[in-house]
Amino acid sequence: MQSDSPSENDEMELYTDELDPTFVNSRREACIIFCAWLAALCWCVPYCYLNGYNVADPENIAITFGMPSWVVWGIAMPWIAADVFTVWFCFFYMKNDDLGVSPEELAASEAEGN
Amino acid sequence: MQSPEILLLAAGSNAALITFLLYTLAVFGIAAFSNQMLKGKSFLSEYFLGSRGLGVWAFALTFAATSASGGSFTGFPSKIYSHGWVLALWIGAYVVVPICTMGLLGKRINQVARISGSITVPDVLRDRFESARFGLMAVVLIVFFMVFNLVAQFKAGAMILKTLLSDVEIFHRAAEFFHTVMEPWSFLGTDSEYLICLLAFGIAVIIYTTYGGFHAVVWTDVMQGIVMVVGVLIMLPLAIMMVNDLAAKDDSNDATGMAYVTQEMSKLVPPVPTNAQLQVSSSSDKDRLIVAGTWIATESDNGTSRLFRTGNDVEIVAGQQVTAAEIPTEMIELVNASDIKQILDNPDIYTVVRDLQLVGLTQNPYKYGGSPEHKGTYVTGPGPSPNSDIGFLPLSLAFSFFFMWAISGAGQPSSHVRLMAFKNTDTLKKAIFTVAIYYTLIYFPLVMIFCCSRLLMPGMELESDRIMPAMAVFLTEGVGVGWLAGLLVAAPFAAVMSTVDSFLLMISSAVVRDIYQRNINPNASEAKVKKMTYAVTIIVGTAAMLGAVNPPQFLQDIIVYTGSGLAACFLAPMVFMLYWPRSNKQGCMIGMLCGFAAHFSMYLAGAFTNGSFFKPHLLMNMDPIIVGLFVSFLATYVGCLISPAPPQRLVKKYFYKRKELPKT
Repeated sequence: MQSDSPSENDEMELYTDELDPTFVNSRREACIIFCAWLAALCWCVPYCYLNGYNVADPENIAITFGMPSWVVWGIAMPWIAADVFTVWFCFFYMKNDDLGVSPEELAASEAEGN
Repeated sequence: MQSPEILLLAAGSNAALITFLLYTLAVFGIAAFSNQMLKGKSFLSEYFLGSRGLGVWAFALTFAATSASGGSFTGFPSKIYSHGWVLALWIGAYVVVPICTMGLLGKRINQVARISGSITVPDVLRDRFESARFGLMAVVLIVFFMVFNLVAQFKAGAMILKTLLSDVEIFHRAAEFFHTVMEPWSFLGTDSEYLICLLAFGIAVIIYTTYGGFHAVVWTDVMQGIVMVVGVLIMLPLAIMMVNDLAAKDDSNDATGMAYVTQEMSKLVPPVPTNAQLQVSSSSDKDRLIVAGTWIATESDNGTSRLFRTGNDVEIVAGQQVTAAEIPTEMIELVNASDIKQILDNPDIYTVVRDLQLVGLTQNPYKYGGSPEHKGTYVTGPGPSPNSDIGFLPLSLAFSFFFMWAISGAGQPSSHVRLMAFKNTDTLKKAIFTVAIYYTLIYFPLVMIFCCSRLLMPGMELESDRIMPAMAVFLTEGVGVGWLAGLLVAAPFAAVMSTVDSFLLMISSAVVRDIYQRNINPNASEAKVKKMTYAVTIIVGTAAMLGAVNPPQFLQDIIVYTGSGLAACFLAPMVFMLYWPRSNKQGCMIGMLCGFAAHFSMYLAGAFTNGSFFKPHLLMNMDPIIVGLFVSFLATYVGCLISPAPPQRLVKKYFYKRKELPKT
């Protein structure tokens, strides 16, 4: 993975050996989000299947808050739980990382400076 | 004779027309304002990416509105109506869709786009790997999928507008005039009402998108997003009020509200699809047209009423007593006593024809849910299905949809563009939260509303795509606030418009930025690029509009094919490119091509085994998106490992911290 030209070596000199914290934080956050998706999948689909499919007496199906109970505990409650998780994730876990400055933003700020 | 829904629509028609006109004016106002913002800024960056400056509300609502295409307000309500409560599981992945689609890639794609200065999705891929070939491959795939999708969305927009204006007198007169004018060009189609709506919808979208660019699209998305959520939040209490009125007349059930809905739905059996010829007792000297949606009551052998509803227009020509045998009338027969009673007991709402007989009657009950052993099919899984004997949503498909909505949603290039445009991390955090609440307020209430519609408006199975506007008018008229109908029916129209404008801009950005500016004429002046951008946006929009003149039949299927196809192509390369320093252009290109091929092959296999390209082969009963994503991720990973490591310079640039420059 070594670069061969002098200009490439010069360019590499611009960087440290430390991984970019935005990349590291984004990757960790992506893993947490993937786990949240997996948890939702593992709860919603099996729960609804076990309680909402092959119901013995569907004409007297259990009802909670006016809906079939399997919909409430399999989807509605996880939905609320997911919203609570989203609040925690966004406001208490996700890092406020620096996203950098694009070339055109740089040019615009330089123009303003001039 | 008109169907009851059409008669109901008539009442709200003026409100619908006024709403549409006000809405169009607002959209043009936003476009003019956005055009002013283009001045003094880098044209391409501002036109295609809003100068990476989207704040919370703009970012959240443009993301939500673009994702919620016409399907959310036409196809989804139609499915709830047709299959019942199981749609809560079908849409279940939406519990985590906002955090997955925005959070998985959002922060990192925004950072990489800033580092490279990219303003389109192919730009990011090209710059991240310094490969023009990869960029061009991405352009070809985006244009391929998006053009098909755009044609389908244009059709959806025109169809919704046609429903919206279905009983506006001036609209019918215009359609008649247009029909006369267009007679020599009959190859453009014979439905002049549809053509007028397509022109109105198409021209409006093309003009405001071309003129205003990304900011116009974003701010109209914001307006459209607000219209959608307000529409849903008004409909829910109205639906429950109407159900309570129905429950009050029912002595056999003491429940009210949603409990009444669920209990009554548990007793329902799907209608029976029927084909027959219609016959009158004596011929007439005039043609008699029996329009789609006509209710027909006949006497059964034991003296009870049988109730049918027609699904297509048929004619008994003068001098004949029966409709032509080669055009059998598609119908459904209602079999639930409560549904039949509701139609027959409300002659002020439903007009029932009693002088027609059915001959040559053939009936094909639902393959799942149509027999006594599948009782309660509307309140349990897998839900009724007319053509699948394993039901609407077997377990394997429930798993597939969890992938489809959350994971493949993260792989849509139209979402990636928006993720490149937000201002900073704080904006992303607040926007994820906003979209999560927004989707909670839209999708679950939609399930409740259209479960109510199952009881309130029986017999809509043959035109269930129209259930949203029909229900909007039914509810507002039912509680005496007809003027609200215009706002409610604007919601699906807004949903389609917000998707079309985004896709239109994506295609034109792919052509102008990724093909013209970066490959053909890198030194093109800004003025030339500007002219080129306007011209391409108009040409692409007009071509898509012309494509929708004779639109493809499988609207929803095309949208599903293109959405899942894009995810199969783009998600894996994007994930590896953003998060794996060892990823390289060879591996990502292999992954993109393999994802496309695997997904496409499932559809091709379906064309041979199921007789239609849009009935894909379901490997182990899984949707093709699962196969496409699996193959794409595997191929990208293996492809990267067996090909040379990427240049260290690129790894450093995109994965390592930059040294602080000494202050001067």
